[in-house]
Amino acid sequence: MTGYSKWLGSVGLLIAAIAGVTLLGEFRPSVYSTSTTIGIFALLALPLGLLYGQGGTVSLAQGAFAAIGAYTTAIITTRFGLSPLTSLLPAVVLPALIAFIIAKPILRLPELSLALVTLSIGTVVEVALQRGGDLTGSFNGINGIPALPFVGTSRIRAHFVVWTVVVLLVIGYVNYMSSLRGRALNAIRTDHLLAQAMGVNVALDLSLLFAITAGLAGLGGWFYAHTLGYVAPDSLSIALSANVLFMVVLGGRKSVLGPIIGAAIFTLASDFLPGTESQGMFFGGILILVLLFSPDGLMTLVPRRWRQRSTSVAALSAKPNPVVPSGAVQ
Amino acid sequence: MSLEAHNISIAFGGLKVLKDVSVAVQPGVITGLVGPNGAGKTTLFNCLTGVAQPQQGVVRLDGEDISVYPLYRRIQLGVSRTFQTPRLDLDASVLDAVMMGFYSRNKPSLFGAAVSLPSRRRLERQLRAQAERLILQFELTADPYQRSGALSLGRLRLLEVARAIASSPKYLLLDEPAAGVDEHDRALLAKAIRRAAGDEIGVLLVEHNVGFIAELSDHMVAMVRGEIVAAGKPHDVVRDEQVVTAYLGGHRVAA
Ligand SMILES: Nc1ncnc2c1ncn2[C@@H]1O[C@H](COP(=O)(O)OP(=O)(O)O)[C@@H](O)[C@H]1O
Ligand SMILES: [Mg+2]
Repeated sequence: MTGYSKWLGSVGLLIAAIAGVTLLGEFRPSVYSTSTTIGIFALLALPLGLLYGQGGTVSLAQGAFAAIGAYTTAIITTRFGLSPLTSLLPAVVLPALIAFIIAKPILRLPELSLALVTLSIGTVVEVALQRGGDLTGSFNGINGIPALPFVGTSRIRAHFVVWTVVVLLVIGYVNYMSSLRGRALNAIRTDHLLAQAMGVNVALDLSLLFAITAGLAGLGGWFYAHTLGYVAPDSLSIALSANVLFMVVLGGRKSVLGPIIGAAIFTLASDFLPGTESQGMFFGGILILVLLFSPDGLMTLVPRRWRQRSTSVAALSAKPNPVVPSGAVQ
Repeated sequence: MSLEAHNISIAFGGLKVLKDVSVAVQPGVITGLVGPNGAGKTTLFNCLTGVAQPQQGVVRLDGEDISVYPLYRRIQLGVSRTFQTPRLDLDASVLDAVMMGFYSRNKPSLFGAAVSLPSRRRLERQLRAQAERLILQFELTADPYQRSGALSLGRLRLLEVARAIASSPKYLLLDEPAAGVDEHDRALLAKAIRRAAGDEIGVLLVEHNVGFIAELSDHMVAMVRGEIVAAGKPHDVVRDEQVVTAYLGGHRVAA
């Protein structure tokens, strides 16, 4: 099986699952609300899976970028009375633009610093929304955000629209990863210097990807605002940023369906478990179990081609090297 | 036409690693670079490719001053290199690793990557066939989908060379590609290097096996402690007094 057909299999699997859920919703309409929520989370988690799982670059700002998208559309539609379709573009472009501008200096940082810096974007956004006065509605947020014109109050339509977008994104992801750019992204994950030595403009590629990741979070925020009808400073918060990363890691950061499965598990568990404490315990426990027994997430429980570690990895590190100063490229 | 270092000097924390070094790599010519460990050969590679920034001197590519260009730009302009310590994703398949070499000349646009058009798929099929030919030529593995990490260290070096050749470079810089490579594979490597030179690629080759490099090179340069001490015909360089004492430990080696 070639790489491409393996990837395409994922698309087929996803479409089958959506069809199944749609059928289920015929008997229990509440299924559609749940699946719409999962789809919105998937909009945030899927691009993060690409950035983090394939590009080795973490971000804890997906909640913040979603909040920017949601507030952008909330402000444009309620304060200026424009159509949600008009505000779609700014809701996507604004977070993407902000991400692109801050990307270059921060994406060089080591993983932990990057996690902290991106997390602090959430703090800044949250404070700004709380202190935004009449524009953002301060602590109360914004009510009365209109529903999408082509969805209205129909739950099944919201379900279809969100999942159509998710499927398109999965196809884009699959295409990207099976192209030379996908290999370049994996090279970046392995070693920035290796990628550069292959002619990859690491800083630019990561910045673009970071911007796209943020833009899609903005799209998720746009859906969120128009599906729920209101936004508040804590509805798309720092906790959500952490939860989106949790979805990616739990489901499998290196597989395309992993983040979506993570989003589904997260949403279902939040729905069924009473109280924040028991949810927190459940998520913490399951994360520890997964990281212990399947570090690449639930999706890798599916058997893969190359399993066993080879001997030459040891051979590489055991190679007697004359004392090389740290930082020296050999 | 050449890849040139002009009077390059670089120091790390007071340690002068290269002192006024000049070399030129000509298309179709194999230039051998020898010198004891710590002589500065890898550092010279780093300066030529933009991994390190020399404090003095200029790097020119076919007349263009590329001194301030970052690594990836120089690769795009046709300067490919391998690393003394192979840099590879050991989890990627051998095929993917070689395919990576095609990136610099065949990179799709962002849109083209996300939307798989027939033209892109056709190009990828061609590149895959080319990669499979390279895998065959270097006898890397019978199964292109095998994990790179399963190859021996010697094969990993050949894999890096194959990947560098996949980028159709104008200049090819190989840092000890034959270290830890067995005799059979070394013959494959020599053949590939000769073929590259035959295709008008300029090759700069670092190698400790003096017999191997002297036989392969058209031109040879010897470095000791950051300075070039001899340059010329391989036959003469390996007999040079300074080279013999500094590098060969006083023993004459037949070439
Ligand atoms: N980034 C660096 N920082 C400090 N010292 C370095 C660095 N790169 C190389 N060196 C030093 O430069 C000298 C030459 O190293 P190198 O170019 O690797 O030699 P060679 O490849 O000829 O064995 C060594 O003493 C090495 O320790
Ligand atoms: Mg060296």
